[in-house]
Amino acid sequence: MVNYVIRRLLLIFPTLLGITILVFAVMAAAPGGVGASLLSRSGDLRPEERAAMERYINERYGLDKPMPMQYLRWLNNVSPIGFRKDENNEDAGFGFKVPDLGMSFAKNRPVTQLVAQALPITLLLNALSVPLVFILSIVMGVYTARFRGQALDVGIGTANLALWSIPTIWMGVLLIGLLASEEYARIFPTSGLESLRADRWTFLPVVTEQGWQRGYLLDVVWHLVLPIVCLTYTGFAVLTKLTRSAVLENLQADYARTARAKGASERTVLWYHVFRNSLLPLLTVAASILPGMLVGSVIVESIFSIDGMGRLVVEAVQLRDREVVLSITLITSLLTLLSYLIVDICYAAADPRVSFE
Amino acid sequence: MTETAITRAVEKVGEESFSRRVTRDTLRNTGAKIGIAWVATVAVLAVFAPFIANSHPYLMRVEGMWSSPLLAHLSWADVTMLVTFLAVVAAWRLRRRFGPGQLLVGVGVISLVTLLAAQQLVQVPRAVIYDQYRVGLAEGGIETAYFAPVPFSPTDRSRDNPAPLHEPDSVHWFGTDEDGADVLSRMIHACRIALGIGLVATGIALALGIVYGGIMGFFSGWLDIAMMRFLEIFESIPSLFLLLTIVAFFGRNIYLIMVVIGLTSWPGYARFLRAEFLKLRNQDYVQAAEACGLPLASILFRHMLPNGVAPLLVAASFGIASAILAEATLSFLGLGLIDEPSWGAMLNQAVGPTGTFALWLATYPGLAIFFTVFAYNLIGEALRDAIDPHLEQRP
Repeated sequence: MVNYVIRRLLLIFPTLLGITILVFAVMAAAPGGVGASLLSRSGDLRPEERAAMERYINERYGLDKPMPMQYLRWLNNVSPIGFRKDENNEDAGFGFKVPDLGMSFAKNRPVTQLVAQALPITLLLNALSVPLVFILSIVMGVYTARFRGQALDVGIGTANLALWSIPTIWMGVLLIGLLASEEYARIFPTSGLESLRADRWTFLPVVTEQGWQRGYLLDVVWHLVLPIVCLTYTGFAVLTKLTRSAVLENLQADYARTARAKGASERTVLWYHVFRNSLLPLLTVAASILPGMLVGSVIVESIFSIDGMGRLVVEAVQLRDREVVLSITLITSLLTLLSYLIVDICYAAADPRVSFE
Repeated sequence: MTETAITRAVEKVGEESFSRRVTRDTLRNTGAKIGIAWVATVAVLAVFAPFIANSHPYLMRVEGMWSSPLLAHLSWADVTMLVTFLAVVAAWRLRRRFGPGQLLVGVGVISLVTLLAAQQLVQVPRAVIYDQYRVGLAEGGIETAYFAPVPFSPTDRSRDNPAPLHEPDSVHWFGTDEDGADVLSRMIHACRIALGIGLVATGIALALGIVYGGIMGFFSGWLDIAMMRFLEIFESIPSLFLLLTIVAFFGRNIYLIMVVIGLTSWPGYARFLRAEFLKLRNQDYVQAAEACGLPLASILFRHMLPNGVAPLLVAASFGIASAILAEATLSFLGLGLIDEPSWGAMLNQAVGPTGTFALWLATYPGLAIFFTVFAYNLIGEALRDAIDPHLEQRP
């Protein structure tokens, strides 16, 4: 097991290298390069001014070096082991150092700062929606299996299939339009994660002289409802169907028959014996759900104007902000690869029949 | 049942080829029928878009002279699509006389020749003034004019009668968008992008996946391991990120978007084919083909591929659906084509920057995306059931 984990961890590095080289090459090969967008934003310039500006930008971001050198420079900056520099920008030998994600070209702020603001928001969205999808799907799956062929089973199955086919962009637009617009109902807020003055409020709801105030926590929850609905509804179909077929298979297994023969009630058989064994196949799908959620948050964050990783990346590619694009690619790929690994380990831990030796 | 009856039944089943049985089972499925009907509708709308929705009249009479502005304004793409459509219809009529390979090559050659010829010969008048017909009719300059059922071009922004974000009425059946263009007309012309993206992107992905997966599965061993690592790299790239990056850095070009969606979605097909080929590798007929000294391409694609292609077809029809979704998402995020109509871009206009909401802009393009994606998913499900009968019998 330890062997397997070490091997998988070592395999992460070449994969990450490949991904970043690919994304870097795409940006380097683009007509106009990375500097063009910086130049175009400074407006009309005379030729000599333009040349000076170009020189300045090239020097500042190292864009005058050959592409492989630029990539290696970036790689050295982001890796925790590499050539260090001291405060005066002079070489300080080879060794451990703090990874530096560079400066955003467009916003002129350290990428680390931007990511530190955006990543928790995306993780919050996913940390809420992933468990929600799993819990609801498992409950639906067990009940559809128990009432197989009855109205409940058919109804939930059809509803999930229909939900699964609705594109997220359409659902998001409809939700905003129907539940958060002037024309129809203004039940939910249209954008952001908190109200304008929410940071001055108390954490929990309070009743003051001016009346009832919902407080910070409720405000955030209120803002989260629509984005979370958008992130979750597509996931139900696959997981529910998977749970349903696993429960059905296990209900006919020998051990379930033995339990019934011992006199256990059908309820005990289902929840005590069958349920735990039916959760295994869900683990394998968990790996493929996570990257999908990350992509989904790009769409959802754009629709609901939430400043998470998804919105950051859309902005960054539009502004040709190379360091930001590279850093986000690196971070999301790393998260995806690690989640694959964790799921595989969990699978082996949960099912003694699976071994990686 | 008597013995002869059983023999007859077995013979009857034996006569039918696998592909014919799969086609028959798929076509018998109600879901697949609905899906195919919808896709066919979209295809017809796409091919005949300029004849269904156009500001240029079919025929008009000015000072006693008849002319056809609609035909004069057809672009090379319109001509190529029409000729290709006719070639496909002809191929369908001739399907019993020629083999599928011959027909495919025939249609391909005809459409390619038309494409090259049309690009050289067909020229669209540069300056297009849509107002001239309305003004001409009102002032009496044009005596008679016969218009298409939807008398608005997708880029006709009605400058003589500006009505941005106008609700559906008897003139604009599906309302107008934020530039005042007719939504129904834009939706009909957007069928082209939706269909084209799905077919071309999935075609590219299939071709890449078949070659890559075939080689992996056939040779196995260290080559398989090395190629698998490369495939894993490709799989772990968040494909939407890569798509966004490429489109933002290389400009918005429909062909580029098709190629990139194709290039990011092949690993799935490669994996499927690899698994199939690993199974087929040790079959007698493959060994026999190898022993005969057949060239590698012949063994891989002529002998092994037809037996391993079934799961790929299922994956491909789901792939078309997700390619259409990817393009819609891209356009929705504001990185799609600039002047070309697209369902995703129209959906994006439904919620205005000031919080206004145009229900007709959300409903109709949204429904179009939904139905198209759903149609391909239905076809995929039916194909899967037809190819793997075990799946149906499971509880």
